[in-house]
Amino acid sequence: MHTLETHPFATLFGIDESVVAQALSEAMSRGAEFADLYFQHVRTTSLSLEDGIISRASTGVDQGVGIRAVIGDQVGYAFSESLEADAIYAAARTAAAIAEGTKNVPPQHLQGSEVDNYYAIDRGWDEVNITERLPLVQSAETMTRAMDPSIEKVSVGWMDRDERVLIVTSDGVFSTDRRPMATLYCSVTANKNGVRQSNGASVSRREGIDYFTEENIREVCHKAVDRTMILFEAQRPPAGEMPVVLAAGASGILLHEAIGHGLEADFNRKGTSIYATMMNEKVAPDFVTIVDDGLQENDRGALNVDDEGQATSCTTLIENGVLKSYLHDRISAKHYGVSPTGSGRRESFRHVPMPRMRSTYMLDGPHSRDEIIRAVDYGIIADTFTNGQVQIGAGDFTFYIKNGWLIEGGEITAPIKDVNIIGNGPEALKNVVMAAGDAVLDDGSWTCGKNGQGVPVSMGVPTMLVEKSMTVGGVN
Amino acid sequence: MERELLQQAEQAVELARRAGANNAIARVRDENSTEYTYRDGNIEQVQQSATRGLSIQLYVNGRYSTHQTSDLRAVSVARFIEDAVALTQHLAEDPHRIIPDSALYANRPDTDLQSDDALVRDLPREACIDWLKKMDAVTHTDDRVVSATTDVYYGWNTSARVSSNGFSGIQNGTSIGYGASVTLKEGEHGRPEDHRYVRAHHLSDLPDPEMVAREGLDRAISRLGSEKAPSGRATMVVDPEAGGRLIGAIWGALQAHSIQQNRSFLADKKDAQIASPLLTVTDDPLMVRGLASRHYDGEGISAKRRCVVDQGVLQMYYVDTYYGRKLGWEPTTGTSSNLVFAPGDKDLNGLIAEIKDGFHVTSWLGGNADTTTGDFSYGFRGFRIANGRKMGAVSEMNIAGNFLDLLQHLVAVGNDPNVYSSLQSPTLVFDNVAFSGK
Repeated sequence: MHTLETHPFATLFGIDESVVAQALSEAMSRGAEFADLYFQHVRTTSLSLEDGIISRASTGVDQGVGIRAVIGDQVGYAFSESLEADAIYAAARTAAAIAEGTKNVPPQHLQGSEVDNYYAIDRGWDEVNITERLPLVQSAETMTRAMDPSIEKVSVGWMDRDERVLIVTSDGVFSTDRRPMATLYCSVTANKNGVRQSNGASVSRREGIDYFTEENIREVCHKAVDRTMILFEAQRPPAGEMPVVLAAGASGILLHEAIGHGLEADFNRKGTSIYATMMNEKVAPDFVTIVDDGLQENDRGALNVDDEGQATSCTTLIENGVLKSYLHDRISAKHYGVSPTGSGRRESFRHVPMPRMRSTYMLDGPHSRDEIIRAVDYGIIADTFTNGQVQIGAGDFTFYIKNGWLIEGGEITAPIKDVNIIGNGPEALKNVVMAAGDAVLDDGSWTCGKNGQGVPVSMGVPTMLVEKSMTVGGVN
Repeated sequence: MERELLQQAEQAVELARRAGANNAIARVRDENSTEYTYRDGNIEQVQQSATRGLSIQLYVNGRYSTHQTSDLRAVSVARFIEDAVALTQHLAEDPHRIIPDSALYANRPDTDLQSDDALVRDLPREACIDWLKKMDAVTHTDDRVVSATTDVYYGWNTSARVSSNGFSGIQNGTSIGYGASVTLKEGEHGRPEDHRYVRAHHLSDLPDPEMVAREGLDRAISRLGSEKAPSGRATMVVDPEAGGRLIGAIWGALQAHSIQQNRSFLADKKDAQIASPLLTVTDDPLMVRGLASRHYDGEGISAKRRCVVDQGVLQMYYVDTYYGRKLGWEPTTGTSSNLVFAPGDKDLNGLIAEIKDGFHVTSWLGGNADTTTGDFSYGFRGFRIANGRKMGAVSEMNIAGNFLDLLQHLVAVGNDPNVYSSLQSPTLVFDNVAFSGK
């Protein structure tokens, strides 16, 4: 086990135990009950290819420390980009001012916490040369162009990120995490007889460069091309309420919007979530079990420790249809008198942590995909998505279907496109009538926004059917 | 401060030149902000932020890259720029990547945009706490309130921009905003919510905080009993606060980037009647106290007023240097500023009074649009309109259509622009819109 003195991140941030102890003492000097320091160093490299040329490369370095002082559920927060001791102390004093008393906090010895690594990679992104990345991006373009003669434009985006965090709490514990992330995005515009359609696909995972084999790159390109070509035949569906089948994978966006956000404990602590009064109630049929999981290896939503230094976990939100747990950060866990769920996350050292999702998905159900399609007399199946949103209190949520199909007489018929779906969380849960055994996580580049902070997440579902209750934003 | 930022930018350009860049543009930005959050009688959160960052664009032997860092120690910056130039050498040449023409920097306006308010820079903590307490009290005057959060945000920023071909500029401004978000109890589990926030450069441009909080509460109360209405075609009255989202989506198709990448439903539509003659929109970067006012744009191009749509006829695209060269077009400006609409002669309520059957859209919920085709589908919240009167609240409804069609169905424009946004949409009325509900 490392002590802080011997940990390589202490060298990276140029700090030692005395600076950290002093900063914590300053942060609590006005009477705060708890304080933490969040040191973060992020390197990013992005590439963008258009018209056959990698027309832009970008790199970024961002580092600093965020300091939080907590008293009850009140929070003082400040940060410093400078890691000089005096700048850190000044930020700590600013954060301390949330409390109005005085308190002498003696420095304490720090213990390192050991956690498992769910995204070990062979080579960190800082060891990868730009010349190794360029051919990957170029190859995505070449493969995509070869897939269909009607393709006019291909653009490829690349982003890799190497993040190191060191979190020290006034409980005397420090934790570290090194978090890789790599994203490949491919978008296509095709022209058939003067009509143009565009679409895209992405993959984003906590992986190193070895993940980007020809096969894995080809898969993203294929998705982008297929999703574009089908648009030439796609129509807008009719408007109104109808049954909606959610295809396995990215349809997990429904869980994210309809249930996940409403179970973030901060909204419930404040009484502003529609789920605030439903804990331990039956909210869905028996076969519905939904989790929020930080332990999926190399997944975009995976986390070894959360941004408050808590080991992350797999949290069961709904078990056999019964609402079981909220997603907690330290403040809400203390408020409810439960263990934290490792869900305290933040966009960067410039932001306060709050309860957030990681990888939200539903476990397999008892039906088959064929049975589900056959059960629908007239409805749609949703396949790919661009975005979603929810109102926590009303429970109304939306998600935008980019590609889908009509179902008529128990059979998939014509393709559809560009449909916003709107529903109500508890209503939709009640109306989940079937789920298949084909649950899969989507590995697209999903970013969840809350209070102006974006964090990477993932989502998944088996094929499932929501009986007539949601409104399909079609055209009559 | 201004001098210091300019020097940092100048040094960065000089370092890039010395490292082998033919041209470089550096920007150093310094931002300060404070945000107080108050909830149900207590301060919930105080956040203070002071941040400085350097971004640099490099042109190296026909190659191009951009870089940013928040580590501004002299040694770090020098190494960062050297690495960045070295990286750029590995990229492919792109003949269209050249530094903006210095002729576009000429005739930079110097009118006072009044983007800076000394009162905001010196705002005492006591004043913020006083507003929060007053707003909090107003939001708790109804028994059905479960929780109300009020916020005060203020800050200022300065940015210096320097290019190796003769551009040097400083822009700064203050910003202040506040508002309230209110959640009510309805039935066993329902928690209808709404909010009202306002922002401006100058404190004196904001309405009284208690009035803002009152509007937040009234809006939440008006959400009680909301229902899903039947699907069908009807008139849509888009609130000034909701207009910005539609306008922003349409304006995305006016970017040279979208057009060059064949992803614009407005390509080949210059000088065409893209909307009903009621739509006239000016891009005005020189509006006094405008939230997006500026003397020059992100490329250093001198700002000027431009008519974008004149009586429904499209007059211009937003063309930057790079995509302009690819298209063979002269640059205009790559980014929109304040959008000002030629007004009609009635406000929201006056326009609602004329409608027999429709919906008043107060805010959007999710939804998206396809810039290539113009197809859109959005969720919304709002109210039913029947025989000129605003009726009950509606929720869980969508609209869908195509922007080219929607714009032709613009049948009225209000005289009530949303001045708390750079997209100063007034009330917009469209007929024959497809609504989906139950």
